Amino acid sequence: MTTSRATWLLALTGLAMTTVAGPALSQQVKPAVNAEAAGSNDQAMSPDMPMGDQQKDGSSAPPMNMPGMDMSGGKPGADARDPDAYSDGYRNSTLPGYEMADKISVAKVLVDELEFLTNKQGQGISWSGRITNGPDNDKLLLRSQGLKQSGERLDPESSVEAFWWHGQRPFWGTILGVRQDIGPGAHRWIAGGIEGLAPYWFDVQLTGYVGDDGRLAARLKASYDVLLTNRLILVPQLESNAYSKAAPERGLGGGLSNLELGLRMRYEIRRKVAPYVGFVWERSFGETADFRRLAGENPTERRFVAGLRIWW
Amino acid sequence: MQGLLLATALATLGWPAHAFAVPAVTTPTVLSGTEVDLEIGRVTVNYSGKASVATAVNGSVPGPLIRLREGDAVTIRVKNNLDEMTSIHWHGLILPTDMDGVPGISFGGIAPGETFTYRFVVKQSGTFWYHAHTLAEQTGLYGPMIIEPKSEPPLAADRDYTIMLSDWTDEAPLQVYLNLKKMSGYYNFAQPTVGDFASDAGKLGLSGALSKRAMWNKARMNPTDLSDVSAATYTYLLNGAPSARRWTGIARKGERVRLRFIGAGTATYFDVRVPGLMLTVVAADGQPVEPVDVDEFRIGPGETYDVIATIADDRAYAIFAQSMDRTGFVHGVLAPRDDMSADIPPVDPGSWLDPIDMMGGMAGMAGMGPAGQDHGMVETAPKARHARTEYGANTDMRVDFPRTNLDDPGVGLRRNGRRTLTYADLRTAGPAADPREPQREIELHLTGNMERFVWAFDGVKLNDSKPLHFTPNERLRIILVNDTMMTHPMHLHGMWSDLESPDGRFQVRKHTISVQPAQRVAFRVTADAMGRWAFHCHLLYHMAAGMFREVVVA
Repeated sequence: MTTSRATWLLALTGLAMTTVAGPALSQQVKPAVNAEAAGSNDQAMSPDMPMGDQQKDGSSAPPMNMPGMDMSGGKPGADARDPDAYSDGYRNSTLPGYEMADKISVAKVLVDELEFLTNKQGQGISWSGRITNGPDNDKLLLRSQGLKQSGERLDPESSVEAFWWHGQRPFWGTILGVRQDIGPGAHRWIAGGIEGLAPYWFDVQLTGYVGDDGRLAARLKASYDVLLTNRLILVPQLESNAYSKAAPERGLGGGLSNLELGLRMRYEIRRKVAPYVGFVWERSFGETADFRRLAGENPTERRFVAGLRIWW
Repeated sequence: MQGLLLATALATLGWPAHAFAVPAVTTPTVLSGTEVDLEIGRVTVNYSGKASVATAVNGSVPGPLIRLREGDAVTIRVKNNLDEMTSIHWHGLILPTDMDGVPGISFGGIAPGETFTYRFVVKQSGTFWYHAHTLAEQTGLYGPMIIEPKSEPPLAADRDYTIMLSDWTDEAPLQVYLNLKKMSGYYNFAQPTVGDFASDAGKLGLSGALSKRAMWNKARMNPTDLSDVSAATYTYLLNGAPSARRWTGIARKGERVRLRFIGAGTATYFDVRVPGLMLTVVAADGQPVEPVDVDEFRIGPGETYDVIATIADDRAYAIFAQSMDRTGFVHGVLAPRDDMSADIPPVDPGSWLDPIDMMGGMAGMAGMGPAGQDHGMVETAPKARHARTEYGANTDMRVDFPRTNLDDPGVGLRRNGRRTLTYADLRTAGPAADPREPQREIELHLTGNMERFVWAFDGVKLNDSKPLHFTPNERLRIILVNDTMMTHPMHLHGMWSDLESPDGRFQVRKHTISVQPAQRVAFRVTADAMGRWAFHCHLLYHMAAGMFREVVVA
């Protein structure tokens, strides 16, 4: 049982790491034209076909390498240009005034969810937000999320995290940092993972954790913006957590701990201010579900939420 | 220099209320001769229904019309009455590098209270303009400049009007920039919705609607991302007047009117027409071209076009300029009296980018060109040579086989039934000033990361880059490949850009060359201007974000 959990966890973390490091990303992007759009089935490739090798020699024939297939990322071919080839050793001006709007640090605070919730058991509040600060591809990232329902303990996923975010690839960044749990039985964790935009505009966060006593954990979050209009936006969301071993003081079992599916609809009064309403279904599994039952809580919850999304 | 832009913009966040009260719209005064005095200061304006503060030259937005004569040695004194550094760049003028007005490259800018004296000999004639080379350009610091030819007789015209098209926002330019950095689609309220999908599914079937989107969504590219900044914040201006305060030029039946259009938008391409009148384009970027008759033309930031219109009737004609993203327009009026209003055509519906805007030449090969396109076939260049720095985080798209045809009016103007100007129509009257064939090539790719609002050449932002070195008096070919889905008006300071036809022959002399998405253009440069120069995208926020290179002629 424990072995299979650990395997599962490693697989998830492994996925995170290969996604960051490997050519997997460019493979995903490559088949940017599907057969139908291109109107030529015989030239289209299977989306799963590995491309790494063809790309390296840089000489693959156009018909095989369909238009725009490796549109970003990847490895430069041997014939790639040297961007400094035309400088002949000259350097940019150093006159006063020559400064750095392209190096500006941008500070952004996003309160993604700040909501009241109601369910059969009572009411509660929940939050999820992030603060970033730094230039284009290197930022300090703070994340926090939490949930407190009346008559229940603080949700065991409540935490504050601090990362160095690095814009590793055009649509993906790596994160490396720490997580501090909030509430009873809190652990400290070393954390690493990825955040980014998958093809078809899926926002994805995948984080792996190593706890202060060597325990492992993983968290996956994904969401998608469905534009009903340019202001009325429906957001399906998914979150799942897994732990390598139980933490009874937090009511967490080992293995896949929970799955939360949310559907929130926000209205952007302005880009930066959007009230929303939504519905969240959450299911606990395995030992976590047992812990909840022991505490007199239901392993399956249905919550109605209403809140405000703001950023600046 | 960008930092100074920032300083400028930061100051604009806290406008002092002491601005001098000057009418918001004035017919620009004309300053001529060999000695010109300019003062840069604040004025209160109201373009949006809300009072705001602009940066003005001699109290007006746009600044005064400066009329010079070719061959004259001129002295232009610019006094800075602001509490921040500022500058004026003479757009398209051939002059010494230290007179070019780019803070950080030409000089250190004009400090508060300081007067900078520009001195140069005027070596050209035509329609030009001037503007701040900082974010203050967005706040109104620009004006027209006309240079009379020394010898040629002036073009026969009964009237001569300068039409300066620009964009105004009540937001501080730094705020606009930060909004774009934090959310690149901040001003785009035309993104594809569920309703659009349903309507496409009705027309094309479910699989048709899905495949129309597959390419864009897979690549995480927004097909409606034509303009970073839209009428959501912009009020468009014609000679400093929003549509509501329509600018009017007197024009009577039978008169030949010369209209000198200046693209002074900071982030806006305008599509211009005068419904009911044929426009004969006679000059581009101040340089005479073989006359070409059109219904409509697109003018990008930095470009100028002189057109002649013969007034057909004693009635009011609208000079109608809609933004490329179709979120708004501005109009002025040509009429026999100044109290007449003209019929304003509706703004065209917004359109998506076409597959050729992402796929370049390959879209044509794969049969994805716009169906029924009346503007030529897509011609494909040899495989583009990407820089190794285009494989990093700053570049979200690369085009392997760009298109090279110039006879494409661009997104939103294709197959609209009107005769629209394309670069293929523009031909310098007479031969190239420098008939030499290029001795070498410089290939540069225009790159971006739309999600993060990062813009660059070859994936390298200005402050990470090294300059381009030109050898004195060499004739060289610059090849630009647009690896983004936006149109970029590329402006080289100090030297002319002689645009080549797709088959490599000299075609037209310009100072600002628009490169369409997934397009390759080539132009020739004679490196006859010693010193350091700017080469950048004239979309202000792209320039600030890093799509900028320094050029050294030495």
